[in-house]
Amino acid sequence: MNDDKLMQVAEQLATDIRPERDLWPGISEAIERPAPRRWTPMLAQAAAVVLLVGASSAVTYMTMKDSGPVTVVASPDMVFEQASFGNRYSLGPGFLDARNALAAELDVELQKVSPEARADIETNLQLIHNAIFEMNEALEQDPENILLQERLLNTYREELNLLRRVGGLTRNVMLRNDI
Amino acid sequence: MAALLTAEACDYSQMMTNANIDAFADEQSLVKRAQRSDARAFEELYRLHIGKVYGICLRMTGNVSEAEDCAQEAFIQAWNKLEKFRGESAFSTWLHRVAVNVVLGRMRKSKREQDRIMAVTQDMPAPIVTGDTGEMRDLSEAVDRLPEGARNVFVLHAVYGYSHDEAGEMLGIAAGTSKAQLHRAKRLLAQQLKQEGFES
Repeated sequence: MNDDKLMQVAEQLATDIRPERDLWPGISEAIERPAPRRWTPMLAQAAAVVLLVGASSAVTYMTMKDSGPVTVVASPDMVFEQASFGNRYSLGPGFLDARNALAAELDVELQKVSPEARADIETNLQLIHNAIFEMNEALEQDPENILLQERLLNTYREELNLLRRVGGLTRNVMLRNDI
Repeated sequence: MAALLTAEACDYSQMMTNANIDAFADEQSLVKRAQRSDARAFEELYRLHIGKVYGICLRMTGNVSEAEDCAQEAFIQAWNKLEKFRGESAFSTWLHRVAVNVVLGRMRKSKREQDRIMAVTQDMPAPIVTGDTGEMRDLSEAVDRLPEGARNVFVLHAVYGYSHDEAGEMLGIAAGTSKAQLHRAKRLLAQQLKQEGFES
């Protein structure tokens, strides 16, 4: 059998071959079993941010509730990532102004809260900054990724909320002390 | 008359095109539903594609029970990875790629390939039912005795019609390697068939 004949016969070989038994019941059983959810490091980190922001709020609430004497500690060395990403969203000047003003006040504000609350806030901010950094890096590889852009925007918002909460928290402490 | 035939041919061609478009749209709809975890839609996709998926597994493994396991595993993996399917290729191509990966993975993992070749040469298991008859059955059995690399390329390229680029991508080899393996497969098949008394 020469090459051409061989290829002609090969083309006629059956390609649609039904198995002797129905495989669907086994497949159905496997796919309807709840599969363990796989977490990517970034999703896990985003979840950790949400969890720690919640935990931080609880700790700072407890601190305010006790309202002991204000402890003054050394200024933290927080580094803020550049607010830039994909082509779907852009941070408006209002957002940037608010963020920069709050960031500038952060050192002063942090000196007014307890060491525990301060440590929590710093941990949260560091997590948020790590997430922002990772997402910006990922967006450099995949600039059109809408999900990633939305996630990054939400993380910036989370950062702004946390900065605002720190400001609000210390103002409340001051009011209580004044009273 | 000629004009009429041409028009009929055009109508038929258009009808076939419309049928293909409808089938494609139906399949796309099933895929989208399955991507939203609709198991019934996925079962319909299974019924549509099991023949070719099982066929690839059977021709690559040369073993009925292994092929059944591979086909089943391929559909389970396809379900788990379905959200990653973005329609950049035909669903069947994507599904076949999953099946080929399952077969290759199982072969690598268990080294059953060597056992399979030994079993074929020593015991000659019961013939596999593929629906092939006459010289096609002889070729089918000869393909089954090919070494793994040559057999995989021959099955995907010569039987299932994938290009060397596509077959190479599925098998994780270069297109050039795929061509070389096909050449080897044809040479080995010609030798086998000649020994069995087949002439061109």
